[in-house]
Amino acid sequence: MFDGSTMTAMQTTHSHTPQNTYSPHELALEIKAFISGVDQTQGRKLSVRDHARCAVRLLCTVPACRGAVLEHLRGVYDEYVSGFLQDLETEGDNEGGSSMDSNLEDVIKEIHSVLSEFIRLNPKAWAPLVSTWAVDLLGQLSSKHAGRRAAPHSSSLNELLQLWMSCAATRSLMEIYSQCLAAMLAWCPDACVDALLDTSVQHSPHFDWVVAHIGSAFPDTIVSRVLACGLKDFTAHGYPTGAEMTNLQGARASPSPSLAAMDKSNRVPKIGSVVGILGHLASRHSDSIKRELFRMFQDSVCPPSQPPPTTPSGTGAWENSVHLRRAAVPFLLQLIALSPTLLGAVSAELVDSLRPPVLLQLQSQLQGLPREELENLLGLAVHLISQFPAGGAKVLRFLADTATPSSVIISGPSPSPHEGVRESCDRLLQMLLMHLHKLVYNRPDGDEPYAHSSFSSSVPPTARVIPFLEELQSHIADLCGETLRLERKRHLWLHQLLSLLSVYGGPSVATEALCHLLTLARNPEELALASLLHAPLSGSIPRLIPAAVARCVAQIHTQNLSSRELSQLLNNLATAVQSQEEDRKGVGGAASAQAFMSVQVGAAVSNHLHDFCPLLLHGDHAVSRAAARLLSCSQLPRSATPAHILVIARAAVAHFFLALRQRGVGGLRDGGRGGGEAVTYSMRLLSRLAAYSPLTLKAVLQQLVEGALHRGHADLFGGQATGDDTTISPSPVPDLGPSLLDINCKFGTTVNFSGSVWSVFHAGVIGKGLKPPNASPQLDPDRVTQNLQTLLAVTVQCCSSAGVGSGANSSNGSVAGSANGSRFKQSSDEPAPINAEAAKAIAVALVENICPDVTNGELAWPPEEHAKTTVERDIHIRRAFEANPILFHLLRVVAAGRPALCYCSVVLRSLLATLLAHWESSREPLVLDSPWQLQASCLLVSCMGEGQLLPPVLSNVHELFPHLTPFEVRLLLLGIWEYMRGNSPMPQKFTFSAEKGLFYRDFSRDGDVARYMAPIHSVLHKNIDQLGHLCWRFQV
Amino acid sequence: MPLAERKSMSDIRHSLLRRDPLSAAKEALYHLDISLGSALQTSGGSGGSPPIEKSSVDLVEEFIFHAPKDNRNVQTKRLSCLQELQLLEIMCSYFQEQSRDGVRHLIFSALFGLQGNQVDDSRMAMLSKLVSMAIAVGRVPILECAATWLQRSHAVCCVRVARVLVDDYCKVVPGSAHTLKQVFNTSPAFCCQFITAVTALYDLSSEDLTPPPALLEMVVDWITEDPRLLLLTFLNTPVPAGSQSRGCLELTPLLGLLRWSVKAPLANQRNRKHALANGHAELEKGAGKGVEYDELYSKLHLSVLQVFLMLQVHLTEKNLIGQLSVLQWEHVVGLVDEVGRLGEELNPLHAAGHVQLALDRLAQAMQVAMATGALLCARDELRPLCSRLPHNNLMQLVMSGPFQPPLYPHIHAPRPTGLPPLPPHTSPLSPHIHSALSPHAHTHTHAHAHAALSPHNTHTHAVISPHAFHPAMGFPYRPIR
Repeated sequence: MFDGSTMTAMQTTHSHTPQNTYSPHELALEIKAFISGVDQTQGRKLSVRDHARCAVRLLCTVPACRGAVLEHLRGVYDEYVSGFLQDLETEGDNEGGSSMDSNLEDVIKEIHSVLSEFIRLNPKAWAPLVSTWAVDLLGQLSSKHAGRRAAPHSSSLNELLQLWMSCAATRSLMEIYSQCLAAMLAWCPDACVDALLDTSVQHSPHFDWVVAHIGSAFPDTIVSRVLACGLKDFTAHGYPTGAEMTNLQGARASPSPSLAAMDKSNRVPKIGSVVGILGHLASRHSDSIKRELFRMFQDSVCPPSQPPPTTPSGTGAWENSVHLRRAAVPFLLQLIALSPTLLGAVSAELVDSLRPPVLLQLQSQLQGLPREELENLLGLAVHLISQFPAGGAKVLRFLADTATPSSVIISGPSPSPHEGVRESCDRLLQMLLMHLHKLVYNRPDGDEPYAHSSFSSSVPPTARVIPFLEELQSHIADLCGETLRLERKRHLWLHQLLSLLSVYGGPSVATEALCHLLTLARNPEELALASLLHAPLSGSIPRLIPAAVARCVAQIHTQNLSSRELSQLLNNLATAVQSQEEDRKGVGGAASAQAFMSVQVGAAVSNHLHDFCPLLLHGDHAVSRAAARLLSCSQLPRSATPAHILVIARAAVAHFFLALRQRGVGGLRDGGRGGGEAVTYSMRLLSRLAAYSPLTLKAVLQQLVEGALHRGHADLFGGQATGDDTTISPSPVPDLGPSLLDINCKFGTTVNFSGSVWSVFHAGVIGKGLKPPNASPQLDPDRVTQNLQTLLAVTVQCCSSAGVGSGANSSNGSVAGSANGSRFKQSSDEPAPINAEAAKAIAVALVENICPDVTNGELAWPPEEHAKTTVERDIHIRRAFEANPILFHLLRVVAAGRPALCYCSVVLRSLLATLLAHWESSREPLVLDSPWQLQASCLLVSCMGEGQLLPPVLSNVHELFPHLTPFEVRLLLLGIWEYMRGNSPMPQKFTFSAEKGLFYRDFSRDGDVARYMAPIHSVLHKNIDQLGHLCWRFQV
Repeated sequence: MPLAERKSMSDIRHSLLRRDPLSAAKEALYHLDISLGSALQTSGGSGGSPPIEKSSVDLVEEFIFHAPKDNRNVQTKRLSCLQELQLLEIMCSYFQEQSRDGVRHLIFSALFGLQGNQVDDSRMAMLSKLVSMAIAVGRVPILECAATWLQRSHAVCCVRVARVLVDDYCKVVPGSAHTLKQVFNTSPAFCCQFITAVTALYDLSSEDLTPPPALLEMVVDWITEDPRLLLLTFLNTPVPAGSQSRGCLELTPLLGLLRWSVKAPLANQRNRKHALANGHAELEKGAGKGVEYDELYSKLHLSVLQVFLMLQVHLTEKNLIGQLSVLQWEHVVGLVDEVGRLGEELNPLHAAGHVQLALDRLAQAMQVAMATGALLCARDELRPLCSRLPHNNLMQLVMSGPFQPPLYPHIHAPRPTGLPPLPPHTSPLSPHIHSALSPHAHTHTHAHAHAALSPHNTHTHAVISPHAFHPAMGFPYRPIR
């Protein structure tokens, strides 16, 4: 019985295939025709086209003919391809040559549709068969026709691809093959890729387009399969033996790149094509290549106890073979070594995969290798690292981290497995450094030995690029930071690397490195690294230090340094400069590397002093202190312009007062050390400046006086911040006074002076009671004293050093003197003569600052009655003295620098006038009741005596004052006035005494003093009971 | 004769060496024909076929199959596919044109018979291609020769040839199945042997060894068209006792077909489970096809049962009842084991229906086989065997059936010695077989094929009870002999 229903079902399933309705006889005829190529019924020869049709028919009907038909079809494809190329070649000549093509093209389409239908219906049976056929045919076609005129050269892959894909035959084959592959990937991917690779090896460059095309269609599979096949082949051919490896390395060491090329081409054949294929794919599928490479690596090192995770694409069992796993790492290294693209793909992320367990496994795997192989492997690894285009910094950090012993305890007598890893890394790192060293120092020579096969083509021979160093150049800051951590060993490596980098990168890199070191070093040990780095470089790179310093200055200007770094930098520079001074003073002869550098640093810093001086006023005290330190210890350049110097001077004085204030504030915080240092540096700087030139001396002194008298600084020296202009003074009471607008509005109607701006007097505003007492907080008297002493010390230093010019001397003296207040005393113990010019400068500055006008400002004294005309000025000056106790001290300094006090004549006169007025009006029984006036009188007179405006007999009268009544004091002071009127204080009355270095006044030339002595004697007489012991002081 | 012959052989060899491979092969075939033809004549049909000479064998090996010679370093070129096709064509026409059956068979076995028990791959491949081509172009003589070859060769080789044919016609080339189907009309003997080989190949032990749908359909069509096809070889082989021990195929495909029908429900279920586990979501298709296949398998089962009944007639005629076990006891034991294992392998909860169906079929088949004398065994032996299987009502009935009349006195008796051993090579195929087949006689019995197979159909049970089918009962088949 014939079951019709099932049969029709069958027919419908296959209805799309050509229904074979041939009888056995017809089929026999068809076979005969196919074999003989002659139509059996008509007896004529079959055309290519009909023959092919016949073959296709047989393919569909007679299974036994399959092999023969496929073989025959090869010829058809070949025919088509030659025709196609022929047309291309003759295209320019005539257009009508494509008739045969169009004939064959439909046959090819037919074949294609039949085959692809078969594959679709039954992939398991057809795909292996057709894929090998197609791939073999493709290989044959592309290598056979490679030499044709129309075919582009095999190196231009894209053109090749374009040509072949435009040819219907090859495109159809390619599509069929892709279809097969897609079908086969599910169950036997190894076989099809093996075939592909074999063919690729066989038809080497001409077949590349196929692999490239297939590879981009199935990137993941192809990549992983290609790798697996390559690995298998690699293991099968054995590791590259020692000789071959030395060949490879020898390619680097020997000047014949051809050897390396040959070596590469005829050794392990598959690795070459693996590299080629991956290279093609790398342009577009570098991600999957990278992934697969890493996967292979991970699988090879993951511990064998746990089975590797089965990946969907990976059915290859290479992970399971110990042998293959062991070969994987050498294979990968070799692979990467042969292809810069792969190297680039891997380098960036390699380190991330090297976790400790992986390392352990790797270590145990590699331990099994023979020693020589291991050496080769290491050499290869080192070479690869030096070629890393990216990720070098990561690798370096990894190596250093791993190679650094974690602590002393662990590296004990019993080496742990980690110890093994560490040692390997240590060795690797050292080898790397040596290798780099070789590369770097051999580089400038044009024909230096290093010429690796795969890189020699891409890199012009003159400029050897070492990608590893190239990349590290951008990480110099990090490197420097790491180096400065001064960890065992590590900083040695890094330091070596830094110097290599500097040599490699030339001046710019070296400068940058030095600059970083200078900025980041935190103590002298770390700073020593900079000089260590400088020593070897100084030979090859001229003017390194100036460049580095210039770079530092530029950094300062761009203000991208934090204030901590800034102060570090300044301190480091200062230390460097100072070490130079110490060396010069100390051993002298033994010019160490440090000294060598410091000399240069000193010179370089000197040239940039004005760049540093803004830092003196930096908001951060540490920075300003460091700047002061640097400036204080560096030489002022002779070539500096006055403008620069003046700027420096101004800044230095400003800094001095800041430092004083800071010392007070900081005293509460950090024991005053920082502030004290700052003051010390500042003093040294000021004295250096003063010693530099008369101009600077004057500038400094003038600034100092101005500063000392400045209202903002008054409190530092025990003064009051009140000046004439009360409006500016901070008033605790909010100003509720009438506004000018209100008054103006009222003005027209009533003139009411009460409460108007005109009613403001010294004591306050009329109608509002007395001015509120100035409640500015007074400083601690001790600190006031200290400040006074400091100021005077610096003033005296400036004045006394002016003529001598030995900055070092004075600075040393002040450095030796600690902040215990003995400084002033000490320097007066050994009185350095105060320079007359300097004193004059102070005097002038004083007068300018105190005296509000210059009327009646001549040196000669008028009669006492004339003082009435200058009452206002006198009061002003007296107030200044009241507000600034410092003034008396300054006067004393001036007095010491005879004859400078003469220039203060106006001030003295005004003060004396007010004192006379006071004592005259005083109704107190004792002078002690007006203490300030008493003190002022005494100081004034003694000062004038010191300045030799008065003869000693007269100046001694101040010793009497405390014991007298106000009236008597007035008498005595009047006498002094009289003397001054009689003997005007003129500088020309002084003569210079060479042996003492001072000016002296010969009072004998001024006439008789005795006539001014009468009031004194009468006062003595009157109070002889109290003053008898002083009488001898007043004998002419 | 030997010397002259040998000399001429070496001359021939030298002359052949100078020719191109194809014409050399053709020439070699020609020489083989001449020498064997004359040898057959001299032996004069005295029964024994003349031994094939060593020199001829060498010639064949060298020039037709291009077997590599290890002693001589002559480069042996493999034929290209095209040349191979031409060679096949040459052979086809040769066998077609050779009119003498004896010579043809002799040449065929000279070409493809196994020498020294070694399996020659290229020769097997060539044979498979030749048969495949003969099927395509309808060369009956070759198919007849192939049938004989299949009968005499070792099962392994037969299975290989069968696999190639199934691949060619049922798997690879779509739509070519009907070409193979024509074999039924052109050469029933080959068809029968082919079925035997195919059932030996596909034993349903794995997914790959499940018969492809096209094949199954074809076989069922053949059998339903004429069930006697299955007994063709059995009936044409004079004394079926001898050949079984040599590792050849069995005489009838009955056991294989029985295995198909019994194991199919379980195997399908298992394959579906694997497909599910592998995540192939082709359930719809699978389910639809499954129904279709179930129908085919039940048809197949019915046909097998019918053939058992036919067998009884023939056995009775030949007076072999109780002497010849067509189904061998060991094979049945193996089948029961396989069914048991498959049943365990499947989750009994989900596959209960399938297991029951399989067991029903097994029980039916055993009952019928025992009743018809195809299987020689006693219930007492059956019981321990079948107790391992899951419970099944029908099986229970079969095992604990009514009293069994002592129908088979010779059970377990040693093989009757009265039968004289037959000469090994009487002409194995008699020319009058074809007329014996009448493929249109008997359609009424399986009108309700699956109804008959329902396990609880007591009617069916009654029908195939041993009492109902006494050996004397007539059956509408004309004995073939």
